[in-house]
Amino acid sequence: MSLTLYDYELDENGYKVRLLLGALGLPHATVAVDMIPGAEQTRAPLIDLNPLGTLPILVDGETVLREAEAILLYLAQRFDPGGPWLPREPDAFGRTMAWLVFAARDLHAATLARRTAMFDVPGDAIALERASRDAFRAMEDHMVLQAIADAGFFVGATATLADLALFPAFALSRDHGIDHEAYPALRRWARRVRALPGFRTMPGIPDYH
Amino acid sequence: MSDPGQPQGWYAVALAADLDPGTSAGTRLFGAELVVWRDAAGSAHVWEDRCPHRGMRLSFGFVRGDHIACLYHGWQYDAAGQCRYIPAHPDLAVSPMIRARTYASLERLGLVWAAWGEEPGPPPDAGADSLTPLRSLYLDRPAARVRTAFADASKGGLASGLLRTTLAEIPVLVAVQPLADDRCAAHFLIDRPSDALTRSDRARVASACMAWRRSVEARSGERAAS
Repeated sequence: MSLTLYDYELDENGYKVRLLLGALGLPHATVAVDMIPGAEQTRAPLIDLNPLGTLPILVDGETVLREAEAILLYLAQRFDPGGPWLPREPDAFGRTMAWLVFAARDLHAATLARRTAMFDVPGDAIALERASRDAFRAMEDHMVLQAIADAGFFVGATATLADLALFPAFALSRDHGIDHEAYPALRRWARRVRALPGFRTMPGIPDYH
Repeated sequence: MSDPGQPQGWYAVALAADLDPGTSAGTRLFGAELVVWRDAAGSAHVWEDRCPHRGMRLSFGFVRGDHIACLYHGWQYDAAGQCRYIPAHPDLAVSPMIRARTYASLERLGLVWAAWGEEPGPPPDAGADSLTPLRSLYLDRPAARVRTAFADASKGGLASGLLRTTLAEIPVLVAVQPLADDRCAAHFLIDRPSDALTRSDRARVASACMAWRRSVEARSGERAAS
């Protein structure tokens, strides 16, 4: 096994993958990519690995993968088959996938809002903030109902890939001016994620809590 | 603080159950930034959300035992707001002048309350023996608009400012927290003891809360558009 992650340390999509690598305790190499301002991932040689010019990229032998959620699914299938991260039971599997789609689609507004706020990447800051708040509110409402059902994580009583895909945007939301005030259920959930074995922080997420 | 738009009194600032021991959270009351934190022994505190050193928000910091520490430089404050420890000067006896501003606070009815104004009056009492905390909703609407939304259903106000209504045919009480001019929080309590409620009761009321929020925001939107 030889895993290589092409990553930019301040990118929350790469952080999703780092969280799972930590949780599974998988040894891996990291290639630091100058995403901002260098946009190194849009030029050779990286553009040959991923023609879409995005990060992160995972290389595992002959396998080359892009999209954080796809990489999470791949790693869970390959190194934790039948384990807790990707439930096999159809209902839990479906709900895990729904949150992974949500993380990549709805929550992407928060990623863009953060890039606009921190790195001056062009973007409609007001629309992105509204979309980010809508996404966080949907997450908060869900975790209120989960708490009533005695389920501490997004899909059930134990953490799945959904939690790892959703955590970075919420934990980093203060970078673009969205405080955690309005999300008490998400604050409690974030503490649970932080307590998972193998959890690691990234810049913007303090070690203290 | 005697501004008529900011009546003195006790205001709920969080559901007690949402504040784990050893954690802190930022919130606001009439635009003032507050930190609500619970020490390791379980006592809740409400302070101005500002480290006297550099003005950093203390809600970004961390709780250690019965102290809260600022994220910037680690200055630690005891439960009375007195700075007790400055990591850059570990041997220094800290001046009694270095204090965080504190608000009177207490826990009652499953909520953390903060006193606003010099004469907040008697602390809240719902006249109910046993309530079940449900959730806090945060709305981009003024507190007055939320109170109006309850006016139809409310069967008379209570001394503590709690509003009474029914959701999913279950009686609930609501404490409204004016966050700022255009935002508020509504803290929902079910007016029944928890052992008299099934999970599905609580889930139904929680879903009804979301429907209620949609109706408040839709109504406000129509008014804003007209």
